[in-house]
Amino acid sequence: MRQYKLAAAVAAAAILAGCGGGSSSGGNQSTKIQFSSQVSFGDSLSDVGTYAVGTVAALHGGKYTVNTLTPSAQNWTELMAASLGLPAPCPAQTGLSGMAADGFSVGVVNHAGCYGYGQGGARVTLPYGPGNANLDPSLGGSPVLGQLTVPVLTQIQNHLKAVGGKFSGNEIVFVLAGANDVFVQLATLNANATAAGTTAVNNLVGARVQADVAAGTCTPTDAQASNCVPQAEGELWQASLGSAAAVQAAVGAQVQTDVKAGTCTPTDALASNCVPQAETELVTAYLTAQGTAAGNAYAGGAGATAAVTALGQAGGELAAYVNQLILANGAKYVVVVNIPDIGTTPFGNSVGAATVGLIDTMVATFNLQVQNGLAGNPNVLLVDFNTQSHVNTQNPAQVGLTNVTTPACNLSTSVNLLGSSLTCTTANTIPGDVSHYAFADSVHPTPYGYSLLAKYVATQMATRGWL
Amino acid sequence: MKKNMQVKKAPALKGALAATVAIAALAISAAASAQTAGTWAVGVGYNNVSPTASTDPISPPSLPNSTTKVSSNGQPIAVVDYMVTDHFSLEFGIGTPYKHKMSGDGALAGVGQLGTFEQLPPTLFAQYRFLDANSPLRPYVGIGLTYAIFRDEKGSGTLTAVTDPGGAPATFKIDNTWAPTPEVGLTYAFNKKWYGDVRVSKTYLDPTVHINPTNQTTKAPLNPISSALVIGYRF
Repeated sequence: MRQYKLAAAVAAAAILAGCGGGSSSGGNQSTKIQFSSQVSFGDSLSDVGTYAVGTVAALHGGKYTVNTLTPSAQNWTELMAASLGLPAPCPAQTGLSGMAADGFSVGVVNHAGCYGYGQGGARVTLPYGPGNANLDPSLGGSPVLGQLTVPVLTQIQNHLKAVGGKFSGNEIVFVLAGANDVFVQLATLNANATAAGTTAVNNLVGARVQADVAAGTCTPTDAQASNCVPQAEGELWQASLGSAAAVQAAVGAQVQTDVKAGTCTPTDALASNCVPQAETELVTAYLTAQGTAAGNAYAGGAGATAAVTALGQAGGELAAYVNQLILANGAKYVVVVNIPDIGTTPFGNSVGAATVGLIDTMVATFNLQVQNGLAGNPNVLLVDFNTQSHVNTQNPAQVGLTNVTTPACNLSTSVNLLGSSLTCTTANTIPGDVSHYAFADSVHPTPYGYSLLAKYVATQMATRGWL
Repeated sequence: MKKNMQVKKAPALKGALAATVAIAALAISAAASAQTAGTWAVGVGYNNVSPTASTDPISPPSLPNSTTKVSSNGQPIAVVDYMVTDHFSLEFGIGTPYKHKMSGDGALAGVGQLGTFEQLPPTLFAQYRFLDANSPLRPYVGIGLTYAIFRDEKGSGTLTAVTDPGGAPATFKIDNTWAPTPEVGLTYAFNKKWYGDVRVSKTYLDPTVHINPTNQTTKAPLNPISSALVIGYRF
């Protein structure tokens, strides 16, 4: 009996002994497909240092995130390259065409063998994007900084020139663009709406001036009858109130408000000295309201339609470039990332619900065109960054984010020359631990935010069997 | 004893079988005939371990509902039985390590294999056997205590990519865990010495999985069902 027990114990020991060692390890880190190189087209989200020259470099900036020097902060394209076992991507082009006095005029250099084409401010087709010296500052242009903003169309053409017109078929190609088209269209809409409001007020006042002159209630002293404008404006305001009693009540209330606020000091019991100021304020408020109404009517109608149409066109163009310039020229692995959820960025949070609604429509229209143009192609992987970025801001703790509303960078120009993540470093972030904030500035991710995008792209690539 | 010494050096799989043969060889002097009190028996067979559930979602930072699933695996097993009374028996079971594959599920569905690991679940059962000790067909129920040993956890490029793209190779470690294992089975005596045995058991196994260097964890309520076929010999 004793023998059996002993034998059983020895048998167990023998088997357990066979289990010795075997600690946990990283295992085989190679990917299913070993790509020959990584080619990336896009905008600031994919920019690996196009503008890391001159003053930007001196400030240790250059990427649209919280920059660090060693190791350099990485955006999603750099994380993907590392994940795929490829060399760190380098910018295909560097330079700035801004003000020399500020150190923002640095000769444009093309770097052979560098396929990081993404440039901050780049649009899909049109050459002048945000930060470009040739774009009106009211639309986001910057003669001071002078970003190159080479559009995606040209980026692809430049790559084809660099590699003899064809992809080898073994590259991993990343495409992420469209957000700058949203920003420029939004700024254009804003400018056009303001113009529409101004025009509406001018037309209103002009018509009244003409009526007054025709009726002989005002004698013009110049060809423009500019002396008749204040009278016409006052009449329009009074007419809007309907009765003399209403006008008197409105002026009385405004005088009281001014006196209370201390913007007018009464010199008699009736505060009659404050009446002209109150009238002027009321007239200005009335005309502003008229202009705003007209501007909003434009923004909500023709302007919104134009902006959404423009984004639909840009999305269709991007799909066409992927089809005709990338796939048709031999690329076999093309990852197209759509426009993220701009509405839940700090920028989106700052513009009001109506504008967010418009932004959402613009983005959705663009993304749908891209989707329609590329869906079903086995050589294209569409990554729905829009939904994923929305999920991230709605489930911050789940994805490890500690803040999804506040920019990590201190964007005051007293500590950040450009007030942008481009010149944000760990030296000029806001106080506290911002390492797991979602956003570096109003729209760009922190390095952690980029890692979430990379993680999602990697997951989708693995699902497709590309990683 | 000399034979046993050799067995000790043998690799796991061959070791298990060789050890059983060694026990059989030593048992020639045994006198018992049926499943009566004091009877010893040894058996060898094949056991398939099939997890019944995915892991819980991996802790943050992860995409919501990032779970994994674990593949089934079958391995040879060896059992040693001792009849304490005509109805109560003790049984110790062990086998070569099960080799499991861990793949993405939930939000990670489709990413493919994330890693592999081995599991060794030595189990001590207390069993109650129905019917008469000399009855050829004896159903039984049992409750076991399993100590699940996890080893040789290997990550992959995919695990690294979906947990920390571009980062250091991801590793994972599963905590060794005690677990209860109820079972039902049936033995059929071919003759006084040889018998066949089929049994199904479920191990309520819920170890903690640690993923590094991202310092993530998840619980793995795999609750595997084991289905085994054993041929045994009574002494």
